[in-house]
Amino acid sequence: MAVHEHAYKPYAGPLTPVWSRFLIIPRHAYRDVFASKVFTGFFALCFVCPLVMAILIYLHHNLTAMAIFQINLQNLAPINGVFFQFFVGFQTGLAFLLTVLMGPPLISRDLANNALPLYLCRPFSRAEYVIGKMSVLLILISAITWVPGELLFLFQSYLEGAGWAARNLWMAGAIFVGSWTWILLLALLSVTISAWVKWRLAASAALFGLFIISNAIGFTVNGVLQTRWGGLFNLTIIMKTIEDSLFRGPNSAGLPSWMVLPTPAAWIMLALFLALCLFLLTRKVRAYEVVR
Amino acid sequence: MSASTEVIADTKPSLGRPWSLWGRQIGAILRLEVRKNFLGKRAILIYLLAATPILLMAALSAEINWQQSRNNNIGEINIIFANLYEGLILRTIIFFGCAWIFMNLFRGEVVDRSLHYYFLSPVRREVLVVGKYVSGLIASVVLFTVSTAGSLVFLYVGLGSSGMNYFFEGAGKGQAMGYLGITVLACVGYGAVFMVIGLFFRNPIIPALLIYGWEFINFLLPPVLKKISVIHYLHSLAPVPVSEGPFAMVAESTPAYLSIPGLLLMTAAVLVIASFQIRRMEIKYGGE
Repeated sequence: MAVHEHAYKPYAGPLTPVWSRFLIIPRHAYRDVFASKVFTGFFALCFVCPLVMAILIYLHHNLTAMAIFQINLQNLAPINGVFFQFFVGFQTGLAFLLTVLMGPPLISRDLANNALPLYLCRPFSRAEYVIGKMSVLLILISAITWVPGELLFLFQSYLEGAGWAARNLWMAGAIFVGSWTWILLLALLSVTISAWVKWRLAASAALFGLFIISNAIGFTVNGVLQTRWGGLFNLTIIMKTIEDSLFRGPNSAGLPSWMVLPTPAAWIMLALFLALCLFLLTRKVRAYEVVR
Repeated sequence: MSASTEVIADTKPSLGRPWSLWGRQIGAILRLEVRKNFLGKRAILIYLLAATPILLMAALSAEINWQQSRNNNIGEINIIFANLYEGLILRTIIFFGCAWIFMNLFRGEVVDRSLHYYFLSPVRREVLVVGKYVSGLIASVVLFTVSTAGSLVFLYVGLGSSGMNYFFEGAGKGQAMGYLGITVLACVGYGAVFMVIGLFFRNPIIPALLIYGWEFINFLLPPVLKKISVIHYLHSLAPVPVSEGPFAMVAESTPAYLSIPGLLLMTAAVLVIASFQIRRMEIKYGGE
């Protein structure tokens, strides 16, 4: 066939369904990150705590095993809201480290190398791009937070009986909502920082700094002005307040009572913070930047 | 068309060290770097950090004026400021501010892919280290002393006439000078440490966090280990002593005549290490 007869023909193969196109991004991202042995090792370590907690739940219901290990039931941690709150707190701590490892280069690489038009020239919207980038973290953090948390709840329900599950269904809800608030915060924050700070190390530092500096500022405002509202600048305290309300645990951070933040204020501040992240993200994620 | 030959007098190289040349080169580096440190995009974060304690003290000052019931006892306010200074200004703002400014001196140039311009110019690398360090020092000292001074102004203005009397006729002036001195020394000490970290490590975050952790748990450390930190010496110099809490290991505070020269000597040693390190430094932009 002559060359001039090679006319343009559109792609005629099967198309990825519109709803699942954003999943292409995490698929490629995981291939990269799991190539690192250190990262894979760290990810595997994230499942040690769920395993230990599953063993604890099992021991509660196995008198033979307790007799073999010579453990008294009173010495074992009770399976209640505090147990599951500790689990969520510990796992979200690991999720933070995971975010520091994975989050910073997510968008910064595309922006630094002017690769954004390559995504957006395809049938792929800005929203899908952002959701795709966020889902790299959403999926991975879900795998170490609420998924094992709910499995632990189901395991305990199975061993304890349906009555326990019905009485404590709020715990399952608290694990789910508590984990997702952390997941959304970490994912949105890291993607926003990644979009604004092109230097990977600076982006990681900004993630750490945001929590450490906001902690110091929050406590100083509380101390100096003798108020509880300094907690509104403190991301850690905002999240702790939300967790406490979900797990019905009063003041797990051990703050003086006058420093404890009201739960609605914590939710509103978190929503404002997430909205700010989203606003900053939409300003930065554009195919072309017109410089006047 | 004509050809001409320019005759340049042959100058014998001086046998001594060209201090005046190095001085001029440091001056040139300073002019470039100081502008970058104050006006660059990376400076915005530092301005925000430095403004935080001023805003906080302004709020406290307004609250003291607003609420008559608020205790405005000078002694108590001094303790509040001492805690704010150590907890927020010294351990957080100056620490992270210096980390940002001094790590960016070299690492920032690598990220911007502009360090080779310095390395290709006929400047000794040790001179470059000194020039960059001094420029970072100027930026950090100016910003953080303004931050400390601004906080103190609001502290004394908020207290009204009693505050002004305490400042001009009481111990206020001495305390203010003490806080400003500690701020300068903190910039000198932390600056040197972070600059050398920026030179040695491609990923300076982990060592910076380790140092933060070390400085943070300093109150728990036995006396010998306490002395291997910057915060111990700065804490010893505080004009109003701050309690380190019930879990703190009690250690004798180092007197000023030892802690100030000690910090300066440590800084000099770290700069010498940085000078040795930069002589062997090779630029690999691809890895960043």
